[in-house]
Amino acid sequence: MNNFRKEFTTYSIALIAVAIAINIGGGQIPRLVGLPLYLDSIGTVLVGVLVGPWAGALTGFLSNVIWTLTGLYPQAIAWAGVAAIIGALAGIFGQAGWFQQWWKAAVGGLITGVVAAILSAPIAAYVFGGVTGSAGTDAVVAAFRASGLDALFSNVAQGTMSDPLDKMITFLVVWAVLLALPQRLKARSRGE
Amino acid sequence: MRGNLLYLDKESSLHQLHPLSKLAFTFFFLICAAALPGLDWLLAAYFFLLLPLAGWGQVTAPFLRSSWAVITPFVISLSLIQGFFTGGETVLFSLGRFAFTFEGWLAGLTVAARILVALGGALLLTLTTRPDALMQALTQRGLPNSLAYIVLSSIQIFPRFQDRAQLILQAQQARGLETGGNLVRRLKLLVPLSGPLILSSIVDVEERAMALEARGFSRPGRKTSLLVLRDSQAQRLLRFVLLLLGLGLITLRVWTLFQ
Repeated sequence: MNNFRKEFTTYSIALIAVAIAINIGGGQIPRLVGLPLYLDSIGTVLVGVLVGPWAGALTGFLSNVIWTLTGLYPQAIAWAGVAAIIGALAGIFGQAGWFQQWWKAAVGGLITGVVAAILSAPIAAYVFGGVTGSAGTDAVVAAFRASGLDALFSNVAQGTMSDPLDKMITFLVVWAVLLALPQRLKARSRGE
Repeated sequence: MRGNLLYLDKESSLHQLHPLSKLAFTFFFLICAAALPGLDWLLAAYFFLLLPLAGWGQVTAPFLRSSWAVITPFVISLSLIQGFFTGGETVLFSLGRFAFTFEGWLAGLTVAARILVALGGALLLTLTTRPDALMQALTQRGLPNSLAYIVLSSIQIFPRFQDRAQLILQAQQARGLETGGNLVRRLKLLVPLSGPLILSSIVDVEERAMALEARGFSRPGRKTSLLVLRDSQAQRLLRFVLLLLGLGLITLRVWTLFQ
């Protein structure tokens, strides 16, 4: 509980608000350059590493709440818990020093992506009847169903095709940003 | 609040309800979406409860538009996936070794109708409630001020970020950055695009934090608000009735499951 308090300073609260906007703005970039990625958790991972797991979790959770509130992606709130765990994992990897080398950050991203895929699948399978409402991923799910997998495992399989790669690239982007970030700002986010 | 929200400024009686009353409706419809037994009940809830409520709030057209935009891809995906893979007796048509059954299709449509009812409940709230009013109602019931600040300020700043992402792309193109090309080339584009977006916004954070501190943000104690929320005895009763109805639906559902 002490860590929890320490993570929420005025600075980190302002950072979380901006990070949520980064999540939404970052989600635009793949579309602008034509990449089949989401990149909608850059801000979440950044807060996790800069501030800590609790703040990262809160950023992920509230991002999805705001996606719902603004009507940009109304079903997002169903995945708010998964988004929170992504932020918490980023924070744990950050505290373990995994963001000091690019390859460790990449491995951390892969692990986070696998966890996200496994946790998202039951939500897609049981809440949304095994689909996500986006044509590309649903075609992949259909292909797995056709090969004989059941609803849950088709969604796990679809998730593991996209999430680990997406989170690995997100983690690498954050690693690159951390290199460019002034020391002073890094210290400020840790409440020093 | 800028035009990036679903919220529509109207003078209807639904708009003037206390945010918690509308939140109670949202939760009630979430329970309906999960607990109503079949397609007929779900569609009845949408057309005979949600749609009249949207009409009462003078938001029927945007309500239908948003419902349609979200539900259409779900109806298509669910019809195909459940129709082919759920299985059943009545085969409507076959593609190779896969049969499209009526029972599967019905199961798919039922899930889509559940999503529609839940979505309708959320739309009713977001179309007719200012986010700041909702957050104030929640802070009065114990939600920390800092959470309300995060939600409201990020709603205000993200349209600027969407513009900024576009602007950075144009600026980098003006400097000769080539967009398009093969997959590796496009992956490399992520750095010159996301780097400036993130770094410039983190520099903003310090200014925001100082502006907050200058206004006594972390000061303990009660804070006064410009916005006054009106509540009434009738609305308290309404929320209580909705709660009872919701609990009743859950009990009924659990009871029929164990029958």
